Amino acid sequence: MKRKVLLMGASGSGKTSMRSLIFSNNPASLTARLGATIDVEQNHVRFLGDLILNLWDCGGQDAFMDSYLTTQRSTIFQHVGVLIYVFDVETHEMHKDLDYYRDCLDGLRQFSPDAAVFLLVHKMDLVRDRAPAFERKKRELQEQSEKTPVTVFGTSIYDESLYRAWSNIVHTLIPNAAVLSKHLTMFAEACSATEVILFERTTFLVIATSAPPSAEASDPPDAASELDPARYERTSELIKAFKHSCSRVREEFHALEMELPEFTAVLDEMTKNTYVLIIVHDPTIETAALKLNVRMARRKFEELQGLV
Amino acid sequence: MASTYGATSSSALPQRTPSCASMSSSPAKSVARTKILLLGQRRSGKTSIKEVLFNDLPPKQTFYLETTMRVDKHAYDTVIPLEIWDCPGNITVETLGAPLAQFSALIFVIDIRDLYKQPISKLVEFIVAAYHDNPSLFVEVFVHKAEKLQEDDKIENFRQIQERVQDDLMERECEQMPYNFHLTSVYDHSLHEAFSKVLHKLIHSLPFLEDLVNVFCANTQSPKAFLFDIASRLYVATDNSPVDSATHNLCCDYLSMLNSLGSLYRAPTSRATRMRIPADESSPGELPRPNETTPTKNRFYPSAAASLHPSTPGTTLTYHLVTPHLALLALVPTAVYEGRRGLLEYNVVFFREGVQEICQVEVEARGGG
Repeated sequence: MKRKVLLMGASGSGKTSMRSLIFSNNPASLTARLGATIDVEQNHVRFLGDLILNLWDCGGQDAFMDSYLTTQRSTIFQHVGVLIYVFDVETHEMHKDLDYYRDCLDGLRQFSPDAAVFLLVHKMDLVRDRAPAFERKKRELQEQSEKTPVTVFGTSIYDESLYRAWSNIVHTLIPNAAVLSKHLTMFAEACSATEVILFERTTFLVIATSAPPSAEASDPPDAASELDPARYERTSELIKAFKHSCSRVREEFHALEMELPEFTAVLDEMTKNTYVLIIVHDPTIETAALKLNVRMARRKFEELQGLV
Repeated sequence: MASTYGATSSSALPQRTPSCASMSSSPAKSVARTKILLLGQRRSGKTSIKEVLFNDLPPKQTFYLETTMRVDKHAYDTVIPLEIWDCPGNITVETLGAPLAQFSALIFVIDIRDLYKQPISKLVEFIVAAYHDNPSLFVEVFVHKAEKLQEDDKIENFRQIQERVQDDLMERECEQMPYNFHLTSVYDHSLHEAFSKVLHKLIHSLPFLEDLVNVFCANTQSPKAFLFDIASRLYVATDNSPVDSATHNLCCDYLSMLNSLGSLYRAPTSRATRMRIPADESSPGELPRPNETTPTKNRFYPSAAASLHPSTPGTTLTYHLVTPHLALLALVPTAVYEGRRGLLEYNVVFFREGVQEICQVEVEARGGG
């Protein structure tokens, strides 16, 4: 199944930077080397077995924007699964940005009325008081979107916020996310795990997580509910950074196991395009047992993804 | 946020005091600390260096640091207790308020773009003073903010600064005073590598630690192993094979990932059940004091392993906690790690006992035990 993802926004707002960070495993420090995108750069990203993201990175210079809205209008806005519109938080031309944004929404309503719309308020690292600045922008953007339901995220390539936004976006595109989540929950029970998280292999975006164990079943206050709410995207960011360090010495990261005072964790390949992270707070569970469980579950998860 | 995996993994062990302020009120005050003087012009990056290494400040945040107005004495416990004196830019030998003889090392920070006379004459001033007061002082020059220049300019400026210092010292007839130059930046691993090298000179027990790492490497077929300080990610000792920057950087990044992951999935109320030993269950909530007569034996030490592909035969990066502050990171062939893990861990136990013994002697010698 192919899903078309439109990546739009003013020139220099950071579209290509985030694409290179998420999909090409480049570090944030190298994004300064990227040049302006000319017209539309199309990418196909195989994401899980049968899902292909068809990413349209649309150059944001005015001349291109005008042509997207006129002569190329039907090509651009047809069959869109997701529109991601990027706003530079520090832009000096918010009015112009918003004009183009509204025009793009019109195009989308005309050709792909069912597309999901995500708005990223980007370069949040440049703002010192992030929360109020973001709330202000969010309200403004929601007003401008009128009836169209939109999801707004504040993002920066220098922290985990970008992974949070993209994990959410990708989650809406995965057809069997609920099924995966159900099986991950069963898998977590089999491992006596606090939680289990499934990542996509190349992007390390979160695909699905196990549901928290039911409240009455756990007599000590349940550990998962008090963990850092940003842990998934932080994990994506950390593993991506380490993968990049490995690639600099021409090695490839493969698996990780940790036995720490408070918990045990195993990060291992689940299928050929996913990784699984198992977090166990029970000190009697050994990493070898967790690895064995991953091996046993591999076939089932391959089936779920339609790989066999 | 600031608490790292290293510090928090030690609830049954002596806790590291996070800041200098609370340190001065603790009973450990009597410990003789090895003093490092951090000097340089205003805005050369002294406080940035101190904060990035010892307070876990993200390098991008150094931009917001305020100017240091008076000497800030930062205590830091690693294999030896350190005290880093972060000085304001305008300080001189006279206004320092302590004789140079008290210090073991002097780190002079020069902004790589600052080729003018001022920082160099100031550095020379201090070297001359040290030559008279404390000839055994290690003088280390950090040519800093290397990331600001392109590769060619960087090397050229680095060379020019060295030359000028040399010429000035010749004039002052002080050329016998030894000193070293390092090219550093907070944005990559060069700062960690340079500071580690300075630290090595201050550790008197270094040869013994190195012997232990050598033995470990020989017994586990490890091509490279580092004993790291967990929180600062400085390496305290390594085996005698040459340090290749790429490997060092990888270990440094690995440690930083483990530090972050460790705190991410630790629930605030979950207790470190493994670190608890049956004896102290009688006194819940009370931490054992660091200098009890019998050092508490731990039954559990955190460990981790990351396997890397595809280079045949495959490498595994292992991590083993050795003391509350130190961890052993080793590159081990995956075949050895998977096939003879028991033996590997047996070797770690001996390594750990050796290092702990050395640290204990150090504590006693400094009047902390």
